[in-house]
Amino acid sequence: MSTPPLLLGAAVLFWGWATGLLLPAIAVAAILEGARAVPWRVDFSRRDFNRVSDLCAILFAGSAIYLFTAVGGMRVVDGPRAITVLFQWLPLLAAPLVACQAYSTAGTVDLSVFFWTLRKKAADEPGASSGALDLAYPYAALCILSASAANVRTPAYYASLCLLAAWALWSRRSRRFSSLWWGTSLAVAVVAGYAGHLALHRVQQKLEEVAFEYISGLVRRDTDPFRSTTAIGHLGRLKLSDRILLRVEPAAGQGAPILLREASYNVYKSPAWFALGAGFTPVQPEAGGETWKLAPGPAPETSVGVSAYLNRGRGVLPLPARAMEIDGLAVVRLSSNRLGAVKVDEGLGLVTYRVRVGPGALLDAPPTDFDVGVAAAESVAVAQIADELELASKPPAARLEAVAAFFRTNFHYSTYADQPVGGAPLEDFLVRKRSGHCEYFATATVLLLRAAGVPARYATGYSVQEWSPLERRYVVRARHAHSWALAWVEGAWRDLDTTPPEWVDAEAAGVASAFEPVSDFLSWVVFLFSRWRYGEGWDGVGRYLVWLLVPLVLVLAWRLYGRRRIGRARTEAARGEPAALHPGADSEFYLIADRLAVAGLGRRSTEPVSTWISRLEEGHAPVATDTLRQIARLHYRYRFDPDGIGADERQALRARVEAWLAAPGTGRG
Amino acid sequence: MRRVAYRLFRSTSTFQYRLGRQLTPAGKFALAALVAAAVIGFDTNRTVGYQVFTLLAALLSVSTAWSGGFRVRLDVRRVLPRFVTAGEPAAYPVVIRNGTARPQRGLVLLEDLADPRPAVDEFLHAREPGEERRNWFDRTVGYPRWAWLVARKRGAAIAPRPLPALRPGDAGEVVIELLPLRRGRLAFTAVTIARPDPLGLVNGLVRVPLPGSLVVLPKRYAMPDLALPGARKYQRGGIALISSVGDSEEFASLRDYRPGDPLRRIHWRSVARVGRPVVREYQGEFFVRHALVLDTFAGRPESHVFEEAVSVAASVACSIQTQDSLLDLLFVGPETYSFTAGRGLGHTDRLLEVLAGVGPCLDKPFRTLHHAVLERYASLSGCVAVLLAWDQPRRDFVRHLRALGVPTRAFVVSEPAALEAGAGHEVHRLEVGRIAEGLAHL
Repeated sequence: MSTPPLLLGAAVLFWGWATGLLLPAIAVAAILEGARAVPWRVDFSRRDFNRVSDLCAILFAGSAIYLFTAVGGMRVVDGPRAITVLFQWLPLLAAPLVACQAYSTAGTVDLSVFFWTLRKKAADEPGASSGALDLAYPYAALCILSASAANVRTPAYYASLCLLAAWALWSRRSRRFSSLWWGTSLAVAVVAGYAGHLALHRVQQKLEEVAFEYISGLVRRDTDPFRSTTAIGHLGRLKLSDRILLRVEPAAGQGAPILLREASYNVYKSPAWFALGAGFTPVQPEAGGETWKLAPGPAPETSVGVSAYLNRGRGVLPLPARAMEIDGLAVVRLSSNRLGAVKVDEGLGLVTYRVRVGPGALLDAPPTDFDVGVAAAESVAVAQIADELELASKPPAARLEAVAAFFRTNFHYSTYADQPVGGAPLEDFLVRKRSGHCEYFATATVLLLRAAGVPARYATGYSVQEWSPLERRYVVRARHAHSWALAWVEGAWRDLDTTPPEWVDAEAAGVASAFEPVSDFLSWVVFLFSRWRYGEGWDGVGRYLVWLLVPLVLVLAWRLYGRRRIGRARTEAARGEPAALHPGADSEFYLIADRLAVAGLGRRSTEPVSTWISRLEEGHAPVATDTLRQIARLHYRYRFDPDGIGADERQALRARVEAWLAAPGTGRG
Repeated sequence: MRRVAYRLFRSTSTFQYRLGRQLTPAGKFALAALVAAAVIGFDTNRTVGYQVFTLLAALLSVSTAWSGGFRVRLDVRRVLPRFVTAGEPAAYPVVIRNGTARPQRGLVLLEDLADPRPAVDEFLHAREPGEERRNWFDRTVGYPRWAWLVARKRGAAIAPRPLPALRPGDAGEVVIELLPLRRGRLAFTAVTIARPDPLGLVNGLVRVPLPGSLVVLPKRYAMPDLALPGARKYQRGGIALISSVGDSEEFASLRDYRPGDPLRRIHWRSVARVGRPVVREYQGEFFVRHALVLDTFAGRPESHVFEEAVSVAASVACSIQTQDSLLDLLFVGPETYSFTAGRGLGHTDRLLEVLAGVGPCLDKPFRTLHHAVLERYASLSGCVAVLLAWDQPRRDFVRHLRALGVPTRAFVVSEPAALEAGAGHEVHRLEVGRIAEGLAHL
């Protein structure tokens, strides 16, 4: 380990702190820094390193597959999310390799471990080295960068970063300069880095704002918070679907129908509604990351629970009126606009959240000039009706009641639009046909209120109607999509739904099929599966990963268990003794060799034992060479046989040598 | 296309070289981490990697600012050896005297070798071994070729060497370790004194021009003694002729002129005395003389087969005892060369020096060498031939020599795959990559 003591451990702990994986981090740090305290080292071969590297690669691949399937599909839009998590796990996935380096005799890792081509080359030319790499500093850097992916936006991150950098730089500082210069240079860099990153972040925010406004003008999405194209003026029957989109658990005592609004719009240009001056601003989560406060003040206890699918992890959230706080929403980025739309920029495929509803409607900004205008195409018809109802003379609350009563008594609901009688579609609806679907009612209501001097907006969302006995909660189908008006009365926005209540039954009649119970059941199963799939916070995933690691690490440990351990040279070298003795060094045969050497019959330095014995034999030395030859054979096996000798053979060697030494005339003559 | 690529490679390698000099190892690591942080922290909303990025950028900027103002005056003297051997680590001292009025501490010495980058023509016309097997892109753009040419011309690897602390006026000595990578002449252009900044990331550099060169001898293999046949052969001109320039020979006697005697052997004073042509007769010299024949007909400017053949020739040259015999090194370059060593006539190191500079012959056929050896066969006791293939002309050459009674040992150096079958008893085959093994089996 080339890093200064404890630096690597500190980097790992820093990573654990930032990513919330503190327990694994403590374990990894202890293992890595423990190598300094432990005197032994393991003689890992290149193949062992390859094996550990493969293990890391498998862990990486497994985690990647798991994350891409569990956190969100492999789609490009959703990719970064899984990649970010994977990146945060990297130090854990690479830990086995670094730990092996820490406990290896080599202290470095051959580059061939990382590349197949180099590995192949190394296999072809066993002697050649592809270059060695010390993983200590790269691993520390990996920990710091992975920690950055956890996105801990507190000053503690930068402070720790500076501390770790200073720690690493201190040992590498130039001795030419005093530590004062070092400290000053570092301080300048730290301050400049701090100012730099603030500036950089601000520049990106500015750029994003500009780009978002530009792009949102070009791109249309599923629920577009900036534009809602209505079916006003379309001919034929509305196409409706039975698919369940939302599941709602209302607050205690609250009954259907509940209106869940997705977005509201302020400018009508037939046949579409537009939201002008409604750019999105990010909502910052509270501590814990799953609570998002939309309006200040204490949130009441009562709440509405909603489960919604998000297409590719992004979309606009359906919320009840006067939402103050969203609780339990596990998404990365959330933003809202002044017309009360709240959208998820980055999240999972299914979100489940509770919305706390307060007394005020602070999410929706007070009316502007956009909320009072009526376009020229509809102004004549609208003004005519407003005059008929004498709205101008009534107080604002009464105007709402009058408009609601007008639609209730004179209009009926229809999902079928036939040939217009004449004029603009809305005029046709208001004056002549007096039947249509919710978009007609909502649009006409908004325009009528505006003509009466009440600021109003067009809202789209869902109407919660249907109780599912199967799921024990309300379900919202695609055909429950609805639109209504928002009216500004007495300093607050109020929902005004003028569509005749029979619309639900009328639409259900259009699409109800015999298979509905079956498809509902399947939908429920899919929902339960999705909830399980997305319901895991990734702390839970981390926990599973740790369990996944256990058998793998055990297998690895078992594979490495049989490796030779080599005493670290440090302590022995200090005493001036050889670091490691060869096997069989304690053989008693050497006693015989010493005895014979004293007698002047010693072995020459380059002479093999067998040659030596033959020489003794030829020289008629007074030595029992036959016995000696047998002892030598056993000694050789003890010394060189890779399998070693058994305990009984070892005993036999000892006994024979003792017998030989004790025998009279052996080497004494 | 190739020219554009060449420009690009050249400027990139200039940049890389400068960066490599300018940054300390810690600085290089910081730069790599900076790039990684830039990628990770690209979106400042998603990760806080941009904080790592700005901190590293600030550290490197502060260090770079430090590196600007470095001035130092040092007298540097390099004591180079005459020879080193390719692949064998060598060391040489460098003496540095502090000519400034301030003590100098914490400096690092970097050696500047001659620019290894190829010239544009060389890049356009060179062929990397195995280039035809590369993919279309590599062949068109030619980066592998560039990398190969640079590696080929990079003479040696020299690690940066920290200097000891020097008081004003003091001189100190450091030993530089050098690993020569290939045979030939190794040219030094300058030494660079580097001063890391207080943070230890960026070097301030001062270049001291200091040209020098040494010869890198070919790599040699351990090989057993070659039992060369030792019949003594008559040497025309005798020892004197081969051991010195001029025509001072051992005089034996005078005799009457016989038709065919060279005119310059006529002893004019005796002619004047006796009135008929008399010529001088000289002592004949007999001793052992071997030829070491190196096949230089590699067919292309660069090949490891040829390099290995030179190494084998160098190994042979060293293993032959030249105290009592002569050894001729014969090869064909731009013309036919013959260098002789032995019996006090020049040492084996002269032969190695010649081998350090030998290059392949591309414009002549193998026949040229064949004829050159045949011209000398009468005086040769034996011949060692290091060949690059075992084709018909080379077979003819070896058989011809043997037929003339010159005992010949032939080594054929070739790629493992290119070994032809047969003729195992006639030649020793040596595979590239397993040369040492092959020589040990002799």
